[in-house]
Amino acid sequence: MEFRFSEQEERFREEIRDFVKAELPPDWALGMFEEGDSDEEWAFIMSISKKLSQKGWLTMTWPREYGGQGASGWKALVYAEEGGYWGIPGTGMGVSGVSWVGPSLILFGTEEQRRKYMPLIAAGEPDGVWCTGYSEPNAGSDFANLRTQAIRQGDEYVINGQKIWTSAAHQARWCWLAVRTDPKSRSKHEGISIIIVDMKSPGVTVRPIRNYIGNHHFNEVFFDEVRVPVQNLVGEENRGWYQLMRSLGYERGGVAARSYGHNKRVLEELIRYADGQGLTARSEIRQELADVAIDIEVQRLLAYETIWKMSQGKAPTFEPSRDKVLNDEILKRLSTVGMDILGPFSQLRRSGRALKWFRDLGGVCSLYWNLIGMSSAAGTEFTQKNIIGQFGLGLPRSY
Amino acid sequence: MDFSLSSDQELIRSTARKFIENECPREIVRELNRSEKGYDPEIWRKMAELGWMGLALPEEYGGVEGGMIDLALVMEEMGRGLLPGPFFPTVAACSFPILAFGTAEQKERYLPPIAGGEALWSLAVTEESGSNEASGIRMQAKAEGDVYILDGIKLFVPYANMADSLLVAARTSEGLNPREGITVFVVDPRSPGIEIDLLLTTAGDKQCEIRFSRVSVPKANLLGEADRGWPVLELIQQRTALLKSAEMLGGVQAVLEMTTEYSKQRIQFGAAIGSFQAVQHNLVDLFNEVQGLRYLVYEAAWRIDAGLSELSAFPLISMAKAKANQVYQRTCVDCMKLHGAIGFTEELDIGLYHLRTRANLALGGDTRFHLDRIAESWS
Ligand SMILES: Cc1cc2nc3c(=O)[nH]c(=O)nc-3n(C[C@H](O)[C@H](O)[C@H](O)COP(=O)(O)OP(=O)(O)OC[C@H]3O[C@@H](n4cnc5c(N)ncnc54)[C@H](O)[C@@H]3O)c2cc1C
Repeated sequence: MEFRFSEQEERFREEIRDFVKAELPPDWALGMFEEGDSDEEWAFIMSISKKLSQKGWLTMTWPREYGGQGASGWKALVYAEEGGYWGIPGTGMGVSGVSWVGPSLILFGTEEQRRKYMPLIAAGEPDGVWCTGYSEPNAGSDFANLRTQAIRQGDEYVINGQKIWTSAAHQARWCWLAVRTDPKSRSKHEGISIIIVDMKSPGVTVRPIRNYIGNHHFNEVFFDEVRVPVQNLVGEENRGWYQLMRSLGYERGGVAARSYGHNKRVLEELIRYADGQGLTARSEIRQELADVAIDIEVQRLLAYETIWKMSQGKAPTFEPSRDKVLNDEILKRLSTVGMDILGPFSQLRRSGRALKWFRDLGGVCSLYWNLIGMSSAAGTEFTQKNIIGQFGLGLPRSY
Repeated sequence: MDFSLSSDQELIRSTARKFIENECPREIVRELNRSEKGYDPEIWRKMAELGWMGLALPEEYGGVEGGMIDLALVMEEMGRGLLPGPFFPTVAACSFPILAFGTAEQKERYLPPIAGGEALWSLAVTEESGSNEASGIRMQAKAEGDVYILDGIKLFVPYANMADSLLVAARTSEGLNPREGITVFVVDPRSPGIEIDLLLTTAGDKQCEIRFSRVSVPKANLLGEADRGWPVLELIQQRTALLKSAEMLGGVQAVLEMTTEYSKQRIQFGAAIGSFQAVQHNLVDLFNEVQGLRYLVYEAAWRIDAGLSELSAFPLISMAKAKANQVYQRTCVDCMKLHGAIGFTEELDIGLYHLRTRANLALGGDTRFHLDRIAESWS
């Protein structure tokens, strides 16, 4: 056993910190969602993506020929950790491109698809921004129940249907879309395919959905006779579900390390602030902070373990779900004690006249309001526990 | 980063598991819990042959010179198999402070018999307040010529009934800071003025009350410096917290495995109860917690082995123990309930684990104690 990064990895950590000092405003606040609510914000985020790309960091684990560096999972983990700690924006290019489109194309895509799409993402270009269209009004946790149809006509698929909760659809150039290509399949898991859709195609309509905080993060997306070349099919027709199941674990591997970095930052800021206010003298606050500090260290260790397993060539099964459940739990406790520490100041927004009174503490306010959505995104607590029960404990399906 | 055990460590683990399964199956555990001694000298002798008592002690004192991870792995298996006996007080609590603070002569004299399994030790710190904090130590030790005279009562001293020697913490001076003025002594439990009574615990493990009445202890028996006993107790605190956490980890792992297995077998409403979501999610929660605990323990042990400063290991040890306390209690209670009525019976092993909950929480520090230690590390 060895719980230590190599010197090289530690040097890389320093390099990232130098980048942060040079490129981010000193008062840069962390925000889990790269929503870029205003055009200026989004432009700034994309400008950082470009710089990350120039550093070679954006897609470092990808093979060189597709715009990566062939970096190890450990190096990527250090990057994710620091990215979370400093709130480096622009690391996801929307939410999907870096995290799963690239890796899935490596697993299932054609050479042509890899050469076309991956370098655009790796370059940090607006044309490398993706959204993911899985969920539909009647396909949430049960996402295999999706109805959006793609019917093949000659060299094209014709797509009709509706997606919902599509993050970054309003910013994305491409959609990683799950559709039903065989409406007569025996089970709902069969007959699903993944198709790449150009969001500029005629017939695609994006309608914003504001969340309860008032931010525009996700959307409804309508497909009305949208025509897509058959070359945009990823992998095998009707085998989309099984492909997704295979790539899912890999896709989620890095999330835990970024969350750890972020949580660690929030915790440190909370401690500093609470100390300054004399609040750590109150045993319930001190002990709650210590208690959540334990789970943040656990989160670090489990995030590392997931990467370690992958570095041993083992495909993760339940681990990313475990890490997500833990993160949701930490966010709940960390942000609740954080808001208690902030007291009445916890009500303020980061703008307007009262800005001078706003106290950010690593973005704890944003966490507190957003964690409810974050816990649903990419699968709810209960569905994650279903996965862990089946694949971690070997129990029968519970639903 | 490397999360794997070395092949030596794998061997230590599998040997320990097999040994405990063979030598001390649950009938023997139950028998020993009812016995006066509380351990089996024959098993103890064999453990010494395996080198367990000296696993993390230097070769010059008869040890094997392994690491804290090695010892943690053995403790983990003891927790899994519920092996009763004075291993914890002798090795986890007493051998390390002797090694770290003893004079050359003390080490020479005390350590080889520990490593060889010939000497049993115990630790007498807790008193009537029941607190792990320095302020809980009220017992008086007054210097009189070449000796100190000890007066007072110590409680919850594990296996003092069988011990050959004791480490006793007493107050030699009063200061503003309760961590000052404490001294640690090596005491022969057969000294005149000492009376030992077995306390009856729910778990049946052996813990004692020791009454000291004008007990005379030679000055040569100080461990470390007079009035400066706190660092000795700190080291004891850390080693016991870490190794108790390892032991508890083994226990919860076993309880979780048993219960998961049971949930696959037990049929109600025509289905395995493990297929009911409330049951399954409860098991998942515990499963997640146990994994977290595992790596807290291993990393803390690794930090000691890697020679990183005690300072870097200490908050992690407190994290491990606080987590172990929470997870152990929750796992035992939840898993007994997941068994239904049979979980409440003597027949099932699972109750044996829960009976140990309170001793496990107390030894090496309770949850609130460790949460405060974590907070202390911030300033
Ligand atoms: C901020 C945010 C961003 C998102 N971004 C995207 C995106 O970019 N692309 C995309 O495709 N989707 C996206 N989603 C949608 C997300 O994937 C779904 O919200 C999620 O899968 C849950 O589906 P649902 O909302 O329909 O809830 P439902 O499935 O209707 O669930 C409602 C409740 O029932 C519970 N439940 C359902 N089934 C079970 C079961 N089997 N066992 C136990 N409990 C169950 C759930 O846990 C939940 O509490 C996003 C969601 C949010 C909140």
